[in-house]
Amino acid sequence: MTTFAEPAITTTPTYAARPPKGQSKGRLFVKWITSTDHKTIGYLYLTTSFAWFLVAGILALLLRTELARPGMQFLSAEQYNQIFTMHGTIMLLMFATPLFVGFANVIMPLQIGAADVAFPRLNMLSYWLYLFGGLMAFGGFLAPGGAASFGWTAYAPLANSQYSPGIGGDLWVIGLAVSGLGTILGGVNFVTTIFTMRAPGMTMFRMSIFSWNVLLTSILVLLAFPPLAAALLGLESDRLFGSHLFDSANGGAMLWQHLFWFFGHPEVYILALPFFGIATEILPVFSRKPIFGYKGLIAATIGIAALSVSVWAHHMYASGQVLLSFFSFMTFLIGVPTGVKFFNWIGTMWGGAVTFETPMLFVMGFLVTFLFGGLTGIILASPPMDFAVSASYFVVAHFHYVLFGTVVFAMFGGFYFWWPKMTGHMLNERLGKVHFWTLFFGFHLTFLIQHWLGIKGMPRRYADYLATDGFTTMNMISTVGSFLLALSMIPFAINIWITRKSPKVTVDDPWGYGASLEWATSCPPPRHNFTSLPRIRSERPAFDLHYPHMAHEDGGH
Amino acid sequence: MKSSYRLFLGLSVFYALLCFVYWFIGGEPLGVTALALSTGFAAIISFYLWFNDRRLGTLPSDNEEGEISDLAGELGFFSPHSWWPLVVALGACATGLGLVLGWWLTVIALGALFVGVIGFSLEYEKPGAPVEH
Repeated sequence: MTTFAEPAITTTPTYAARPPKGQSKGRLFVKWITSTDHKTIGYLYLTTSFAWFLVAGILALLLRTELARPGMQFLSAEQYNQIFTMHGTIMLLMFATPLFVGFANVIMPLQIGAADVAFPRLNMLSYWLYLFGGLMAFGGFLAPGGAASFGWTAYAPLANSQYSPGIGGDLWVIGLAVSGLGTILGGVNFVTTIFTMRAPGMTMFRMSIFSWNVLLTSILVLLAFPPLAAALLGLESDRLFGSHLFDSANGGAMLWQHLFWFFGHPEVYILALPFFGIATEILPVFSRKPIFGYKGLIAATIGIAALSVSVWAHHMYASGQVLLSFFSFMTFLIGVPTGVKFFNWIGTMWGGAVTFETPMLFVMGFLVTFLFGGLTGIILASPPMDFAVSASYFVVAHFHYVLFGTVVFAMFGGFYFWWPKMTGHMLNERLGKVHFWTLFFGFHLTFLIQHWLGIKGMPRRYADYLATDGFTTMNMISTVGSFLLALSMIPFAINIWITRKSPKVTVDDPWGYGASLEWATSCPPPRHNFTSLPRIRSERPAFDLHYPHMAHEDGGH
Repeated sequence: MKSSYRLFLGLSVFYALLCFVYWFIGGEPLGVTALALSTGFAAIISFYLWFNDRRLGTLPSDNEEGEISDLAGELGFFSPHSWWPLVVALGACATGLGLVLGWWLTVIALGALFVGVIGFSLEYEKPGAPVEH
């Protein structure tokens, strides 16, 4: 009888069905929310900011759909205002800025050979402040009267309680103040980590370019976010207690603009520099060459960081109350170090054995897109030309080329590049290429046409236009492009899904030519990052480790 | 830390120069103030780093010939996990939210924030243990 032939060999089934201790869903959840591991916190940052990217992307699709044809389709003017306000706010302060913190958290301690960041618990506090602050600002949509609708720049007097009543605006102000506090704490953490926790032999001038850029970005955070916090608290005091800080009668409108852009312009570089860093990490690996002009790149980054506090009022040319000559000169000047960077990036590829794996493709997308954004930036730096297109779609196209080009292209480059380091699995190359090309064409279809739309005179932030304005075709093209752009997220999602159980990466450096220290530890790294560290004698310690016969041949600075 | 303090010193000098030029050609007061504050910010950090550099000498991480074994032994204390960041953040957010929703919430949240900050700071302090340096 077979029924009796099988003896009961299993132990009590209750235990067999339960996952091993420490791996149940509840324990995993507690482990994540109480984590002080910089990698876990980094992953929290990356996933949260990517979720915000999708949310703000959907808001953008709503805007583009509304603008596809003349006449109001399905949004009211007030809803349109709320949506573009939140689109800008989320993209800049809840997606791009924390994305920098996410990449910096995961990668920077690995690159400098540290076991963790200097203040692990402060790191987690920053994350919570960011998450809750973001939710608070976005929660305005649930408030009576809806979310903030004064634009992400919140110009006075539009943002005061008289012109923008309702708690949606208050939630926006407080939410940004709270999440800004998190960003400041993150900046403190990164500066301290880089100054005090580098491995022996990892001198400042052997640090990877990405870590250098994280350092200078953090310094900019410390310069730029406190003025924002001050401005926001002042605005809230105006709104709640009726103070007259930003009252136009005593020059408050200009005061706000100066304060806001003293934050706002360094903020652009806070978004750009870390992503320049990601591109600079990827380029030499797929060119099989060391970085061309390592010290020149660092000098250029320091130059950008120093100059970025001196160009804020180029956002205010049209106010007619700023020193045009000073700010125009400074703005042209800051184009120089950016040009140096381009020179170095191209020099890195020059004569190298370049291959176009997905991360490299995204970096190419970044170079092309950001170049266009930089060129229109030179146009806008010149006051007479700026006056002609100020507050038109030309400006919208310009800053999307700059920010989407750097942040989104370099972000995906970084994801494909470091995915094996973060998860232990490689992403699929074919899907990655589909992803890149749909994203690239979608993006340029959406935004290239907006330059001409702006020159023809379509103002930004308008919910509607007339059929007789002649904007219809161009808007239609832009809207079609935006949907193609949105579709490009699908191959990425499929890619993550199908590769989640692919064979584990068993080597430290799956790309073969990794230079910085994160490629000298396992994929993913252990809890405190390294079981052993190689000797550090150049800015390419992992390369020296894996190719000892090549060490110092061309790298030793 | 030599390169660290020089970096901040350089920034400070550059901001001072900018501040002077901007003031000299007639910039508005807010920009002058902001640039002056930036100068001071960079100067303070530079001074602190210079001070520590003089006190500590060359650190293994700044030594071109540094060996990994130079830092052998206990690296420092790293918190394994902690609930306190969540408590502090919830307290801080509720304090802010109270400004919008009503003072009653701020009063409660300030209490929570106070408890959170104490918990955060004293989490690894053992009562009665001698202070370690």
